[in-house]
Amino acid sequence: MPAPKPLRDAIERDLKSTRPLRRPSTRALALAPVAAAILVGVPLLHAFRGDMDVLGFVRAWGFSIAQTVLGLVVIALALRESIPGRSLAAGTVATTVVSGLALPMVLVVMTSSRFDIGPGPGLALVDGAACFKTSALAAVPAIIVAAILAARAFPLRPGIAGGLYGLGAGLMADAGLRLYCDYSVPSHVLFAHGGAVAASMVAGACVAIVVARGQG
Amino acid sequence: MADYLDGRLDAFDGVYAALAGRIRGYLYTLCRDASLADDLVQDTFMQIHRSRRTYEPGRPVTPWVFAIARHVFLMQRRTAGRRQRFADALAADALHTDRPRDEAAAVIDRDEVRRTLRQVPPEQRQAVLMHHVEGRSFAEIAARLGIRVNAAKTRAFRGMKKMRETMKGSPD
Repeated sequence: MPAPKPLRDAIERDLKSTRPLRRPSTRALALAPVAAAILVGVPLLHAFRGDMDVLGFVRAWGFSIAQTVLGLVVIALALRESIPGRSLAAGTVATTVVSGLALPMVLVVMTSSRFDIGPGPGLALVDGAACFKTSALAAVPAIIVAAILAARAFPLRPGIAGGLYGLGAGLMADAGLRLYCDYSVPSHVLFAHGGAVAASMVAGACVAIVVARGQG
Repeated sequence: MADYLDGRLDAFDGVYAALAGRIRGYLYTLCRDASLADDLVQDTFMQIHRSRRTYEPGRPVTPWVFAIARHVFLMQRRTAGRRQRFADALAADALHTDRPRDEAAAVIDRDEVRRTLRQVPPEQRQAVLMHHVEGRSFAEIAARLGIRVNAAKTRAFRGMKKMRETMKGSPD
């Protein structure tokens, strides 16, 4: 079956040698410098948590580096989702989202021995808002870079791809935040830290949908 | 597929010959309309062409192609649904209006729009009709006219601007 002439002409007009995109995992590595900058930048711009010596290298830096790597893995999944025919299964998406949102709490449980360190009386909202803002702002550069990388592909479900790269960026930001904030009260960790990760996820989804509409 | 990525037209012909029939069959099972399926096949190949760099050499072609075809179908269905809702809203508006619309005034309005449209350059008129009347997306228009999406947007925008200017300048 030959191609109809108008289609063939349109293809011919636009035909040139095209280099295929690299593998999603390789492309996600483009975010490694951004991830490293967020990891180190958040505590440097604010302050390192007071119990860094007590925690030791593994529980402080080790866990944060692992969280950053997990963030990169989630972004690699988002970039894979952005390739037609390589969409993730619903179960994989659900597992990734639930695990990602739970990770800040899990890390606090693995790091702290007591869960009563929190804001002083009347400061819960102020300190919570400060942590939320710090983490959400730190995720912005990663969301922007990931959005550019995803838009270079062709996400057929932009909301899911964007939600995933937003989640990955949120995890990277939280990895830096946990080197600054030593609160272990569950309400603070859930709403301020986990909330910022969730907000990044929603922001990523919105960005991806807007970009997809802009691309027609 | 690798030769197509290298920019060879004969390779595109080969890809089309190998896949068009299967894509058409797949699209027909989705839309149950032979003519629409034919149109969607063309749109699918334009979309395949635009996103050909997302194909990973060495991986099977069919999941990639059929995912794009399904997306093209879903976009078409969404556009058609939007068009239908718009038509329904217009019909409901006409039914619920307090003052019944004067038939003579409607004819005059239609004539004025037709007259104004005739003064728009053909290329822009085509884009205006395809976007504002047929409800096609700019990507669809670009694919059908063999132009870039931005060019389709510009044509429709300029056409509408020209129509507004003409209508403003008309005696009534």
